[in-house]
Amino acid sequence: MEEKVLTRHFGLENFYKIEVYLKQGGYQAVKKALLEMKPEDVLAEVKKANLRGRGGAGFPAGVKWGFVPQKVQKPRYLCVNADEGEPGTFKDRYIMAHIPHQLLEGIIISSYAVGIHSAYIYIRGEYEAIAQRLEQAIAEASVKGFLGQNILKSGFDLDLAVHRGAGAYICGEETALLESLEGKRGHPRLKPPFPASVGLFQSPTVINNVETIVNIPVIIAQGADWFVQKGLPKDGGTRIFGVSGAVKKPGIYELPMGASLKEIIYKYAGGLPEGRTLKAVIPGGMSAPVLTAEEIDIKMDFESLVAANSMLGSAAVIVIDDRTSMLQVLKTITKFYSHESCGQCTPCRIGTSWIHKIVTRIAEGKGEKDDLETILRLASNIKGKTLCPLGDAAAMPILSLTQKFSKELAAELPN
Amino acid sequence: MAKILIDGKPLEVTDGLTIMKAADSAGIIIPRFCYHPAFVPEGSCRMCLVEIEGLPKLELACSTVVRDGMKISTGSENVVEARRGVLEFLLAEHPLDCPICDKAGECTLQDYYEGYGRYKGVFQEFKEKREKKLVLGKSLALDRERCILCTRCVRFLTEVTKTQELGVFKRGVRSEIGPYEKEPVDNNYSGNLVEICPVGAITDLDFRFKTRPWFLNTGESICPLCSRGCNIYIDYLPGFARQEETKKVLRIRSRENLRVNGYWICDLGRYGYSRLDQNRWEEPAMYQAGKRIGINWDKALIVLAEKIKGLVIRARTARIAVLAQTYLTNEELFLLRRLFRDDLRVERILFVDPPQGTGDELLLTADRSPNRRGAQEIGFDLNLPTLEAATQGTELLLVFGSFLHDRFDLAGVKTALEKVATKFLFTPRVRDHNALFDFVLPTAMTAEKSGSLTNFEGKVQKFGPALELRGESLPEWRFLVNLGKELRTNYRYYNQFVSPKEIFREMVKEIPFFEQDR
Repeated sequence: MEEKVLTRHFGLENFYKIEVYLKQGGYQAVKKALLEMKPEDVLAEVKKANLRGRGGAGFPAGVKWGFVPQKVQKPRYLCVNADEGEPGTFKDRYIMAHIPHQLLEGIIISSYAVGIHSAYIYIRGEYEAIAQRLEQAIAEASVKGFLGQNILKSGFDLDLAVHRGAGAYICGEETALLESLEGKRGHPRLKPPFPASVGLFQSPTVINNVETIVNIPVIIAQGADWFVQKGLPKDGGTRIFGVSGAVKKPGIYELPMGASLKEIIYKYAGGLPEGRTLKAVIPGGMSAPVLTAEEIDIKMDFESLVAANSMLGSAAVIVIDDRTSMLQVLKTITKFYSHESCGQCTPCRIGTSWIHKIVTRIAEGKGEKDDLETILRLASNIKGKTLCPLGDAAAMPILSLTQKFSKELAAELPN
Repeated sequence: MAKILIDGKPLEVTDGLTIMKAADSAGIIIPRFCYHPAFVPEGSCRMCLVEIEGLPKLELACSTVVRDGMKISTGSENVVEARRGVLEFLLAEHPLDCPICDKAGECTLQDYYEGYGRYKGVFQEFKEKREKKLVLGKSLALDRERCILCTRCVRFLTEVTKTQELGVFKRGVRSEIGPYEKEPVDNNYSGNLVEICPVGAITDLDFRFKTRPWFLNTGESICPLCSRGCNIYIDYLPGFARQEETKKVLRIRSRENLRVNGYWICDLGRYGYSRLDQNRWEEPAMYQAGKRIGINWDKALIVLAEKIKGLVIRARTARIAVLAQTYLTNEELFLLRRLFRDDLRVERILFVDPPQGTGDELLLTADRSPNRRGAQEIGFDLNLPTLEAATQGTELLLVFGSFLHDRFDLAGVKTALEKVATKFLFTPRVRDHNALFDFVLPTAMTAEKSGSLTNFEGKVQKFGPALELRGESLPEWRFLVNLGKELRTNYRYYNQFVSPKEIFREMVKEIPFFEQDR
């Protein structure tokens, strides 16, 4: 068993309560950062740790923080993206439920590093109980003086609020998140300008995923070098992989960056149920291009998956066995994206729905000869042409699935 | 300045301009649905994607700022394919309504399909079924099946009128435009929504099913209903010669003029077009013992000239009064001054204008006539006179225009006019007080004249006739020139005025205000 970094205390009772958390050494990293380090030193350490974003895009966190202008006369904001909308992903709910105080620590240190005094946790509306747990943790932390004014007498102020979403996958996209947080419809904005310069309320804003933020106290407590060692040279730290689908032990597994996909499925998740054969694996959340059973001999890090024409994304591994019809998978995928499309831009609004209509018709037995060709063409007209990455998130799995399983799909059509 | 290449054509562009603005200024057409120069770029239709050398993805022309050295292609294979893709998506859910849709013939979707589509359609699914006639206010209908969700309507009401009646509701392909409140779109600029909608989603109930745009002729004019002087287009069925009843004005549209009215006109100016061909006084006539008798212009001219000469000889020009109004063009007002004030020494040139209304913060002014500023610059006193001041001791009264009983009650006008021996009315309209005059002569409306008007900001706008003269009507300037010639006060002077152009030239010599390139 590899040494666990984030999920170390996941089994410990009441670890989400501050008394237990403090007893295990909690909030030491905050003390170190606020009382012994300068903000720019904290930023430098995070940069050195090569921590890449854990939400899906994998953008280096320290570099993103560096984009925030320090000399502008506007308040700076931090938004923690707890929308966790990517299908197959459930790591953040575990993190927030089990170690909420580590998340708060990460928020405090990150805000200190960038000069932020107002932070929000944008959590998907469905996570009502978890939002309550976060509110509870914030209340506990405030009482103990870790939030609010003059934290630990360091002179640093920070206000933190939890904001619940209302059931839209698109609000996990950072600019749509900002729009929703501002009280508007969750419509993504044009980029540039990027949130680091024009974000929440037109002010410089840092947006990071939950898992990214909970790594920050670890980096400060143990140092960047130690952190890099836990993963890969350009890709520091561990990754919490979420495994679901046709496995004996679905759940979350914290492993070093670059762990073997085969091991994740067969060693840690217990392999497939008796009598089942592997058909396909979606490696990084539903929007990651699918891998066939022959393609799973691969390391789970950003670069390796890009080289295999897929992506690490949210590290959510969905295992598909021979029971499952790929046509049904395609139908589920297209139903999801057409339902979640915000509707702003033409290709995604109409394209996702059109493809879903075709797939539904095929599933009803009324497929036509050219349907697959049409699906591929329409998906190519979505990819790279939309206002936000949801279009790509829809197009890529549709393209990969239709191409790699064309034989199985074509069997449903008249020849 | 940035030096860029668009389709190989070198351009020097001011810093900070978008590719779209640079292309527009150079006459290079990039197709667009959601972009409108009056609004902040939206970037949602994806039709304006262009290829920039060195960048892997296509970029939007509407929101990408030019950089020095940029090489842009608006017609590469990738761009062509992207455009076709957008059209294919839009037309997939678009109803096949062209045969019954008012927008046909002036529809962006039709035009772009002609130019950038021409593919074989493969959509064979069921289209989304939606509301086809949601009434949005006094004159607007929304067809949600035709709507391409460019959100121009929403943004117009947010950014221009700031009244925000409309919004987008629901999500994804189920998205729809709708009103927030139960009483939707009730503002003085609602008609502009029909113009900015690229397709037949928002249509005008006033224009619904009346004609096809290709049957209409279009003339350019200036709206005279307030002192802003908005530029307009007048769309009309030309009809047949000398059959006035076949000629019909069916629509007024806004004409872009960034110095005067921007891109818009108000509903007051847009929807009052029936005044142009309804209730028009089109034949010269005289009233004798309450009976209306047709005459001709020559006779009327001679009678008037004789009356004037008679009073001049007996040194009784004080018994002549002129009531004018500020719908008259600069040229016509100048002739009034020249002929009546300067040549004939008539002191009483008084003005009866339509009553003031309420202005708004956008275009409509409280002043409801188009040329008060012009009249001021020409040197007239525009204070409303009393009926007494106009008719006391008056033997000959000339009334230009028809606002008398908008300012005074009809009974009072009748009593006052009975004191005057000879009364001429020059008007384009059939109104109740016409029968109170001895001679009623048909004049042209602003849309049928050429000349110039001065708006309240002091901008002088020259214009030509958008419509033909109706019946026997004449523009006032032509009658005044003929009168000048007939009176022989200064024949050669008036004889040079074959058109308003010559009058304007003379006017500029005497009143330098009108010499302007403002």
